[in-house]
Amino acid sequence: MAGATQTGGELIEEETTETDAVAAGAVGLSAVLFALAVAALFERISLTGAIAGVRTVTLLGGLLTALGVAVVAFGVGSRFGYVRTDPDPSAGLVAGFGAAVPWVVIGGGVVSETLGLGPTIGVIGAVVAGGTAFAVTVLPREDVGSTLPLGSLLALIGLVFLTGVIGPEWVWELDWAQQASITAGFLVPTATLFSALYGGWASAKAYGGFGARGRHMGAYVLVYLNALSIIAFLFVLVAYVVVQGVPGLLNGAEFGFGTGPQTTILGVSVTLPVSVPFVMNGVALFNDFQGVLPAIVGTIWLVIGAVLLAVPLGVGAAVFLTEYAERGRFTQVVEVATNGLWSTPSIVFGLFGFAFLIPRFGNGKSLLSGMITLGFMLLPLVVITSREAMLSVPDEYRDASAALGVSKWQTIRSVVLPAALPGVVTGVILGVGRIAGETAPILLTMAGGTFVPGSQTVDVLGSFQFTSAPPFVANPALLEATSALPYQLYALISAGVGASSNVGDADAFRWATALILLIIVLSFYAIGIATRYYFRRRLRHT
Amino acid sequence: MAPVTDTQSERIRRAISARIRKTREFVDQTDPAALAIVSVMALSLFGALVGFLAVSDWTILPFVAFLASSAVGWFRYQEETAYVISLMMTVSTILILGLIVVFIFRESIPVIRYESATVYGFTVPGLRMFIQPNWDAVSPPIRYSMVPMIHGTVMVTLIASAVAAPLGVSAALFLSEIAPAPVREVVKPGVEVLAGIPSIVYGFIGFTVLSPWASDQFQTTGQGSYLFVGIVVGLMALPTVVSVAEDALSSIPESMKSGSLALGTTDWQTMTSITLPAAFSGVSAAVLLGVGRAIGETMAATVMLRGVPRLTEPLVNVFYGMETLTSIIARNYGEADGLQMDALFVAGVILFVTVLAISVGAQYIEWRMHKRLGGEI
Amino acid sequence: MSENQNPQTQTDTATTGTDQPLTTTTGESVEQTRDEWREYEFEGESKMTVENLDVYYGDDHALKDVSMEIPEQSVTALIGPSGCGKSTYLRCLNRMNDRISSARIDGTVRFDGQDIYQDGVNLVELRKRVGMVFQSPNPFPKSIRQNIAYGPEKHGDLDTGLLARLLNRSDEEERDRLVERCLRDAALWDEVNDRLDDNALGLSGGQQQRLCIARCLSVDPEIILMDEPASALDPIATAKIEDLIEDLSEEYTVVIVTHNMQQAARISDQTAVFLTGGELVEYGETDQVFEDPNSERVEDYISGKFG
Repeated sequence: MAGATQTGGELIEEETTETDAVAAGAVGLSAVLFALAVAALFERISLTGAIAGVRTVTLLGGLLTALGVAVVAFGVGSRFGYVRTDPDPSAGLVAGFGAAVPWVVIGGGVVSETLGLGPTIGVIGAVVAGGTAFAVTVLPREDVGSTLPLGSLLALIGLVFLTGVIGPEWVWELDWAQQASITAGFLVPTATLFSALYGGWASAKAYGGFGARGRHMGAYVLVYLNALSIIAFLFVLVAYVVVQGVPGLLNGAEFGFGTGPQTTILGVSVTLPVSVPFVMNGVALFNDFQGVLPAIVGTIWLVIGAVLLAVPLGVGAAVFLTEYAERGRFTQVVEVATNGLWSTPSIVFGLFGFAFLIPRFGNGKSLLSGMITLGFMLLPLVVITSREAMLSVPDEYRDASAALGVSKWQTIRSVVLPAALPGVVTGVILGVGRIAGETAPILLTMAGGTFVPGSQTVDVLGSFQFTSAPPFVANPALLEATSALPYQLYALISAGVGASSNVGDADAFRWATALILLIIVLSFYAIGIATRYYFRRRLRHT
Repeated sequence: MAPVTDTQSERIRRAISARIRKTREFVDQTDPAALAIVSVMALSLFGALVGFLAVSDWTILPFVAFLASSAVGWFRYQEETAYVISLMMTVSTILILGLIVVFIFRESIPVIRYESATVYGFTVPGLRMFIQPNWDAVSPPIRYSMVPMIHGTVMVTLIASAVAAPLGVSAALFLSEIAPAPVREVVKPGVEVLAGIPSIVYGFIGFTVLSPWASDQFQTTGQGSYLFVGIVVGLMALPTVVSVAEDALSSIPESMKSGSLALGTTDWQTMTSITLPAAFSGVSAAVLLGVGRAIGETMAATVMLRGVPRLTEPLVNVFYGMETLTSIIARNYGEADGLQMDALFVAGVILFVTVLAISVGAQYIEWRMHKRLGGEI
Repeated sequence: MSENQNPQTQTDTATTGTDQPLTTTTGESVEQTRDEWREYEFEGESKMTVENLDVYYGDDHALKDVSMEIPEQSVTALIGPSGCGKSTYLRCLNRMNDRISSARIDGTVRFDGQDIYQDGVNLVELRKRVGMVFQSPNPFPKSIRQNIAYGPEKHGDLDTGLLARLLNRSDEEERDRLVERCLRDAALWDEVNDRLDDNALGLSGGQQQRLCIARCLSVDPEIILMDEPASALDPIATAKIEDLIEDLSEEYTVVIVTHNMQQAARISDQTAVFLTGGELVEYGETDQVFEDPNSERVEDYISGKFG
């Protein structure tokens, strides 16, 4: 009986052995190499320099060689029974292709460039190297297959770095019409990075004793690393913008009583205790410190306008789709349409606003066009999230209400909408975060000059006026081009350094703009995520 | 063929008559006054729409009439008014999609006429935009070829997908199957926040940090490369892939996974042999949607690319980045007018149609998956 | 054989019970039933020995100080009202409760004398030897053949992959023999032998459940845990499953959770009764438990006064 053959599994495993420690050490070494490679890639460590007295390239080479030798030794040791493992008959096709890829690159590169035999023979070299690696991975037992090709790859790359065949000054000029070269500064860290990944994979498999558990370990190492990298990337990104942006943001900032501008709150004139010119001023010739106040105000109005348009429309549509319409062709079409709208590129919304709205609102870019365009962008998200939230309201609630003789709309208003509110609110806040950072649509519909003086900060509420000619109501502020933060940042980038010299330190000004934008957008996200947690916890506790 | 169309027309006829019957029922059951108010609302809103489309200053009148009748309806016949208003809102959602289609197509017609080409004696409008690679808006012959931008978009999208698909699916597996609850509570919002970082901020960092670095490393003339635009755009598309794929993976019933684990398979074997294959359609829909996002990404591409609408030489030269369909619109809308502006609309049409097709395709795949898994979800 | 419930653990249970809402009543009843406890002695080997097992889901104390020995090659039925912790108990025996992150488990479970909750337990090996059939049929969305071959293939006992076929070392014949044997053992062969390549989701509920049993047999387990395997099935399919369980007990140790007392009486050799609150109230030979239970509560439950 096939199933009856017990493949060497023990119910209880022994304590950690020396060999496990070796494999775990190899995983750790891969982690170190990965970190070094990332640091070198971002030029945190110099390839020409030295770490702890050893030249960087030599150090990388030495570590790679050691890792490669350890990996091969583990596999061979397992094959000859020195190490207790539980390998499968073959490492499998996936591992085979995984091992073939780097060898194809190396084989092709060496044959065509190092030996100078040209691309045709290079292809043959690539196929031979890749095919051999594939065969060596797939044909022998798993312990050899998953270590030998990868271990020798690491050792080869390590030796190339150690012996200085590829040193810090190495350059490979691609013979292309538009000149480009591959330099050591790129190749060494990248090769180390991928080698570390392969080394970590192979040694994690070895640590798990090959077989199903080995593959499990190998895969988990990579998946965890990926998740960790995504979070690290996010953290580095935000931290970088903060570090670069804070000096510009606090340029000329003062703290303490009586330093800030005067403002009127609830009829009482108050002097703010802080003065941050960057967010309180516009750009003017005689300003001591330049700022982006008009863009901030523009962004706020933009978001308000978009929300006023999209939220009632979207929630209404969701109500109709979930509560009134029978599920069928019509709801399906609307669903496809909203999902289609949701994935429509933002620049297409911009084009649409340009062609549709601008001619209808005074034939020029205007705040109103921007609001409506962004409202259209927000609409599908509101529909989708509201619908999801309403669908998750249990039917029992509706039935209970209907059983009491309450009419349909009353049921919706007093049962469905309150129950769906958390979902809708969260969805809207996250959606607002998204559109607040959109640049492309407002580029074509609303954005004016690069630098807006503080005097042109829009005042929508104060600008309503009645006219004698149709449409009888006018609001010049709504019909004027203004600025918003994402556009401001784009304009600063595309204007170049020369044009932005009138804001003093242009670079600091730009980074500060980026930081303000990031702060505004991320606070929407923070509020949205916090709201969700709040509602979820309240739901759990009642 | 005939019986099929017969039944189809039959079905349509039946559907229409059912709708008519329902409308009649609604009319019969509703208070005549409410019906009148509701009709006034519908008619006035329709009037406002017509007025708006006709660029009339008098649009305000029907609109005010609509507001007034809604207000009256709301206080007197809330039930019917709520129904009709929500119906109108639904219709307006579809209407917006329709308006987008009409307006961007309409604007692009002149240049499609201009760029006609003759093949085998047939004059195909717009064909010349796709069979020669020359974009020149200044010196004659004036040509608006889409080829360089399509090439750019394809390059960027390929690289972006190569980044976003494996990393995204792996992160989705992590979130849905592997991560312990406290870790998930950190990583999941993290991915969401990643989606929230404005594209212009990505673009700005790419422009100030990555582009100079890349130009230095690869010793290229000038800055801007498809490789790095692709990587940045891939990272931007990543959250889309993660969240959609995670939804698909966690919709696989727990009982199926337990069934596999109870046989003594590892978690990883269960993931690759049961969960991933069962969620395959959903995961591929996620990748598709990520591709859609990458195609439509504008600002990062605009600030990081060179803005020269021509092909790279050779075509696979990813170290040079010229222009994509999105970036040419964002870059040139300002000085463009006439035919050139219309050509930008053609780029918009290509983007819109491609992404819409991808979105519909992804939805179809998801729908099939849910149908196949049946009531087990 | 069972040296259960020393006074120490009793007080432990009672004190752990104090933070529960049901404190006093539960505490008293524990004392009471323990006084009436009669040891269940059986002949032959004990396959699984559970000692002082407590399970908590967050703050919820789902199983309270359960001790029990499960004899080899027999059918042990676990009965009790819903929510009494019998499924929880079953899922402790192959550590499927590890999947629930809020679950906390105290006590020892010995399988062939080895504690399965100690460090370094190979879960893969454990679950291979302690198979499980779930409440509702859960075939994989694959063909019938692939469903059966799945376990052995994942354990490397069978290889019919692309690579194996290319290298001409595919175990296809062996696999087909295995599929036939398992399907015959699960009394399904005659119904499906002409459509082994059809998707398993197309089978009827009863067939799906027997397929799941066959799938469980394919890795040659020593114990088969069944969690109300017939609850979702019609009477005819249930009867088939019951016959099957009796046949299986000749070769395997079967532990079955059921809410159906007649079913337990029909098929099991010994019966354990769990009552609300997660206590094991009575455990003994099935006839004795049903005809002459020690505990009044069990008598009430069996005679249908509550539960």
